[in-house]
Formats: sequence, structure tokens, C-alpha cells
Amino acid sequence: MPLLTTNMIKKIQQFIPKDAQVEFHDNNATFEVSILEIKKVARDLYANKNLSLKLITATDEREENGYFKIWYVFGVPKENLFIIPFILLKNKTEFPSISLVIYEALNYERKIKTFFGLTPIGCQDKRPIILHENWPTDVFPLRKDFDWQKRPQIATSGIYNFQKVKGEGIYEIPVGPIHAGIIEPGHFRFSVAGERIVLLEPRLGYTHKGSEKLFEVLPLDEKIKLSEKISGDSSFSHSLAFCQALEKLSDTTLPTRALYLRVIYAELERLANHFGDIGAIMMDTGFNFGGAQGSRLREMVMQINERITGSRFLRGVNTIGGVTKDIDNLEKNKLLLELKTISKDFSKVIGVALNSTSLLNRLKGTGVLSAEIAKNHGVIGVVGKAVGIINDARVDYPYAAYDKLLPDEIVTEQDGDVYARFLVRIKEAHASMKIIEDALDKLPKEDINIPNLNVVFKKNTFAMSVVEGWRGEIAYFVTTDENGSISRVVPRDPSFINWAVLRDAGFDNVIPDFPLINKSFNLSYSGNDL
Amino acid sequence: MTIFIWTIQFIFIPVVSPLCVGIIKKIKARLQNREGASIFQPYKDLWKLLHKDEVISRDASWIFSSAPFIIFSVTIVVGASIPIFEPFFNNTLTGDMLIIVYALAIGTFFLALSGMDTGSAFGGLGSSREMTLSALAEGGLIFSLLTVALISGTTNLFAISSSIFGQGQHFLSVLLAFSGFFIVLLAETARFPYDNPDTHLELTMIHEAMILEYSGKRLALMEWASANKLLIFFALGANLFFPSGLAQNAYADAIILCIVIFMVKIFIFCLVIALIESSMAKFRFFRLPDLLLISFILNVVAIGLIY
Repeated sequence: MPLLTTNMIKKIQQFIPKDAQVEFHDNNATFEVSILEIKKVARDLYANKNLSLKLITATDEREENGYFKIWYVFGVPKENLFIIPFILLKNKTEFPSISLVIYEALNYERKIKTFFGLTPIGCQDKRPIILHENWPTDVFPLRKDFDWQKRPQIATSGIYNFQKVKGEGIYEIPVGPIHAGIIEPGHFRFSVAGERIVLLEPRLGYTHKGSEKLFEVLPLDEKIKLSEKISGDSSFSHSLAFCQALEKLSDTTLPTRALYLRVIYAELERLANHFGDIGAIMMDTGFNFGGAQGSRLREMVMQINERITGSRFLRGVNTIGGVTKDIDNLEKNKLLLELKTISKDFSKVIGVALNSTSLLNRLKGTGVLSAEIAKNHGVIGVVGKAVGIINDARVDYPYAAYDKLLPDEIVTEQDGDVYARFLVRIKEAHASMKIIEDALDKLPKEDINIPNLNVVFKKNTFAMSVVEGWRGEIAYFVTTDENGSISRVVPRDPSFINWAVLRDAGFDNVIPDFPLINKSFNLSYSGNDL
Repeated sequence: MTIFIWTIQFIFIPVVSPLCVGIIKKIKARLQNREGASIFQPYKDLWKLLHKDEVISRDASWIFSSAPFIIFSVTIVVGASIPIFEPFFNNTLTGDMLIIVYALAIGTFFLALSGMDTGSAFGGLGSSREMTLSALAEGGLIFSLLTVALISGTTNLFAISSSIFGQGQHFLSVLLAFSGFFIVLLAETARFPYDNPDTHLELTMIHEAMILEYSGKRLALMEWASANKLLIFFALGANLFFPSGLAQNAYADAIILCIVIFMVKIFIFCLVIALIESSMAKFRFFRLPDLLLISFILNVVAIGLIY
């Protein structure tokens, strides 16, 4: 365990109220705040100290300690520190909502309400999230006394109140949850005046699988497999974030070769998905050449993935203490050569695309997200970078070998339209290829994992881990109980945050542009619904 | 012999039209580095759909169930009334330019009605877009046909295609009118940059949104009718503006040669459409009226040049 230097403690102290009793867990500083104070403390950390909110979640500790605990996880960028105030709910099920001072807290609080039955007082949106009307309103699946193997009775009475727009000529269009393409299910409710979108409201939850509950009951290696399936296209990043949290909980130090390999695999995943998205954006405008080339480039990377690891989605690669698949010298040279071809191909395709006036005309000015709305919602990842929000876990909370292979700079754009998101992906793809080449060059000779590792978790503690997936920052919060077994896992996909601003990006656009806007976000339904 | 030629004329459009769709799809696939389905796939698709059960919404009225037959019949009648390889025919009953244009409009009218009939959100969207476009496209279509009508002094299409041949001094007018006609052709046949015939995104559709509720046999008729319409427009474009190679008498060898030449012209149309659809993005909906206005202006200039 890296001991905290006095320097670090000093840094931490500026974020913490004077009378608070601070406990240190690894790189996390945690302290209790009274229920009355939490609004003030959270606001101070968020607005005055400029910390970013990573997640808010609850744990049910009634059996051991007799209370529910609500955690507010804030991150200190560049320092790899997390400041985590918490409140305890003893014999009560209400807590003050902080969504009026930190707007992005809203959906976390709705989730706590839906899954723990704890009511955020003052929260403006009282509708349940993710669970639908068929779920009884008095059964809370993340409480410890909920039996995950029992199916509750189907409720029939509830209705979901979509926001309504009234007025002459307003036409409501329901779209989904079943779509014509092979994509995930989600419902979109449009209110349009002619072709203009007046209101767009996504409704998700159709792929809810009870993942958070499953994390509590499955055996350890199954847990890692489950993390790969939180959002299938981010298999590697999700399992990486989860494994990193488990490594912190068991004080495992990795061989450096494993750290480098993790960077390579993570960037291969980013590369494949960015290629796919760049092609899909072009495809949705009807620019068939670009669409076909995008899928071709993606397929090239997927086949590399399969050849190296045996899995197109890099599944089964991460393990506690390292990775399971190595890249030998022969493979290394082959990969370097292939990357050169891919990079050349990609530049050519982008050259053609950026010269197509009809394509640029569709991309520019479409689906503009204002920087202010993005900031209020704490938007991250590609969408955030496209409005100039500098946020990248690889730089802010360096993990694996990123501290030695840092990307030159975080790529950003300013305009916040589809074109900006398109450009961010292009630049990130170029950067990824450079990082992979760099990592292959510097790849140290060592083991790729720790053989016969005996994993023992520390007791009554927790760990935070963040990873920059290709969509944006993936956060995992993992707690252990008094026996040293995993008691709660909170995966937070970037989609959960970014879904909230899709409506703002869609507002005032014409209906036929919505699929393009949605594609430029390309958020995960599964990662949101868990 | 006349009976024989009439039979060919009558079945030519419905028999060949799926092939055009197949050829366009094949070229597009090859341009995207794909192998693509066989050019005869559209026939197989029609055959398959004709043998499938269909689902009709409880809320559908007679319009929904009869529209495919009306629309398909319209394309058959129009297909039989336009010059394909025999300008010497002089069909004076239905071969008039205005009859053709407004017969096609009947088809569009019922297509739009059927889109709204079931009350599905997408059908309504498609219908409203289709009506916007076809209202704007009508001016361009009438004026482009009017150009060639004015040059040859008649509104009968057969007479136009046999007399426009050799009107060398009006070459520029014909070319301009053809450009105007081609822009309308793309709009009327739901092609790029107006509509994307290959998309699965309901919200962006125009033509496909209107037929979204159809299945089985009626869907087959709808698909077939839209393929017919495509070929009808190709034939109008090929034979009214560039009628060289049309048979001037009813001998079998001349007719066979003409059909071959006609097929070559059709192939060129398919190639151009496939190239457009592979090399550019679809336009935003609100830019489309501008394009149709350009068509109108081109035709006005073409008419101005005649005098």
C-alpha cells in the first residue's frame, strides 16, 4: 500500500471540513457528514473546490451496523485522490436531495430511490428510473433482504408520466423500444411541431439485468466475467476498472509488463469502436462509402483482437494481478506493421470524408449541445470533449502504464455538434494508434500476471477505480464487508451521465436528423440499465 | 404483329423493373467493396412476399387494403402508355403528357393516404414529407415535359419521341430540360439526395415510412409499384430527351435492336443513380425544396431558349 506522504495529507486537508474525522483507505479520504450538512459540504467540494462528482450510491448496512450509508464520491483530478463524504441513515428512509445544488446528482438520487427505497427530499423528479411499471413500488432489489432468486409479483397499476407538450400542431411520435436496426432497445418520445423537435424524452431500462445485485452473489471469477458484460462493446475497459478496484482491495502489485499490455488492449478496444462509430455516423447520413470503410477498419482491429486474445471483444483477458494473454515478439512486429497499414487506410478514408461537402453539411451544426448544459450535467467522454470539457481519466487518474505513455494532450473540440464529436473520435483514433506503437516499443520483459495469486481482500473497506473507456470515464466503486468479501459493486458507465443530455442535443433539430445525433453520442443502453 | 408488340409494351415495365432495382443495388454493393446480392434478388423477394401471410391493422380502412392495387394498377397503365421502343405507335388514348403526370399523381395520392390510414406515427411523417416533395416536384416535372412538348409541337409522348429526333437546333434546351427532369426523377422515385431507399432509420424515411405497415402480398405490390415507377421515369428520361435508337417500323429485328439499346440506356441511368448514392450524403430535408426550385428554373430557361 502506498503510504500517504505528509504532502498528500496536506493536499487532502484543504478539501475536508475542519471538524471532520477523516479515514484513509488507500487513495480515498472518507468522512461522515451529518444529514443536515451534506448539501453544504457537497456544494463546497463541487462548486468551490472544483472537484468532479464521480458517483453517488448507497449501501445497505442495516444487518451489521443498523444503517443505510449514502456515499458521495468526488475525484481530485491529476492527484489520483478521491474525497468521499458519506451520510448515515439510522432508522429512517429519507435523505436530503443535493440535486438542487449539484444538478448531475439527480439521476443518482432517483436510482437510490428506486433500488433502495430511500427518498431524496427535495428531488424534483419523483419518477422511478430503470425499473418499469411492472415492478412493484414497494420492492427494493438492492436492499440486502431482497431475495434475488425470487420473482416479485407483477404490478399492473403504475403509469409513467412522460412530459407533455400542449399546443396547436404538436404531434407526438413514440419510437421504440424495438428498433428496425440491430441495436439495443430504448424508447424515445418526441413532441414535434412539423419537423422540428420540441421535446425529446428517452426512456430506458429495457435491458435491466440486475447486474448490481448479481455482483453481490456471484463467485469472484464470475464477477469479472459479469463486469465484461456490463456494456459488451467496452468489455475490456469495464473489466479493467473492476480488476483495478479488486487489486486495490487486495493490495496486489502488478508486474509492469501487465500494465503495458493493459494499455495496448484498452487502446485496441478504443480504436475498434471509434472506427465503427466514425463509419456509422457517415452511414447514417447516407454517405455509403464512409460507412463501408468504417466497418471494414473496425473489422480489421476486431480480427487482430481475436488473433491475439482469442476474443473479438477482448473478453477473458483481464484477471486480478494482470492479463491472461501475452504479445510475443513475433506478434509485436506483426501488429506494428498492421497498425501502419490501418493508419494509412484510415487517413485516406478521412481525407475523402472531410472533402465531401454533402457529408460536412449534414454534420456541421447538427445536434448542438451547449457547453453550459454539458457542464451542469457533468458530461464526460467524447460528448464532453466535443464541447471543450477537458476530462480524461488516462490523464486525470493515471492507471495501468498511462503515466509513462501519456497521450500528447487531451483532444477537444469546441462546437458541440455532430461534427465535433466526429472529429474528437478521429483525433482519438490517431492518438490511440500512437499510444499502442509507443507501448509496444517500450514493452518491458516480465511476467504478464502473478501466477498462483492468492486473493485476500481487506476487510470493511472500499476502493474506487476509474478507467477511460472509449465512450468516456468508467467508474467502479467496490466495498468489502467484515469477512473481506465483496459486499457491493457499483459500476458507473459514462452512458448513465450522458443519456441525460441527449434531449438537449436533439432539441430544435429536425426529426430526420435525430438518428444521426443519437449515433454521434452512441451511448450504451446496457451500461445505463445495468 | 401489332398484338405482339402491344403485349411486349404492356408487360415490359413490370417485368424489367425489379431488374433495375437489382442492378442499382449490385453496383452500390460493389462500390462499397461488398459482393452484394444477385441482380435477380428483387424478383426472389417479390416471389417470397407474394407467398407470405399479411397482417393488417384493425384500424385500417378500405384505403389501406385497396391502395396497393390502385397504386400498382396506375403504374401498369402508365407503363403501357409511354414510348419504350415503338414511337410509331401513336397511342392517342392515354399517351398524353398530362394524363401520365396526373395518373402518377393518383398513385402518390393513394400512397400518402395509405401511409396515414393506420394512424402509425411514422406513416404520418412519411406522408406529410411525400406530399411536400411531390407538390414541389410537380412544377419541375410538368415544365420539363413541356419543354420537349413545345419543341415537337405536341403533348402526345409517342409523337414527341418520334419527332424530337433530329431537332438539333434545340439541343441545349433538351439538355437543360433533361437536367431539370433528372432532379425530379430522383425526388419522385425516392432516391438520393431526397430519400435513402436502404435505410432502416424510420425517422429519416419518406417513401419507406409510408409502406412500413404493409406486409406480405400488399407489400410486394407496393415494392413492385415503386420499382415500376422508377423504370417509368427512366423510360421517360431516355426516350423523350434522347430518343435516338428507337424503332421506326415494326420489323422484329428493329424491335429487338431497340430493346437492347433501351436496356443500355436504362443501365446508364442505374449506374448514375448508384454512383450518386455511393458518393454523397443525403441532404437535410429543408434543403430539398431548393433543389426542386433549381429544376424548375432550369426548365424555365430551357423553354426560354426555344424561342
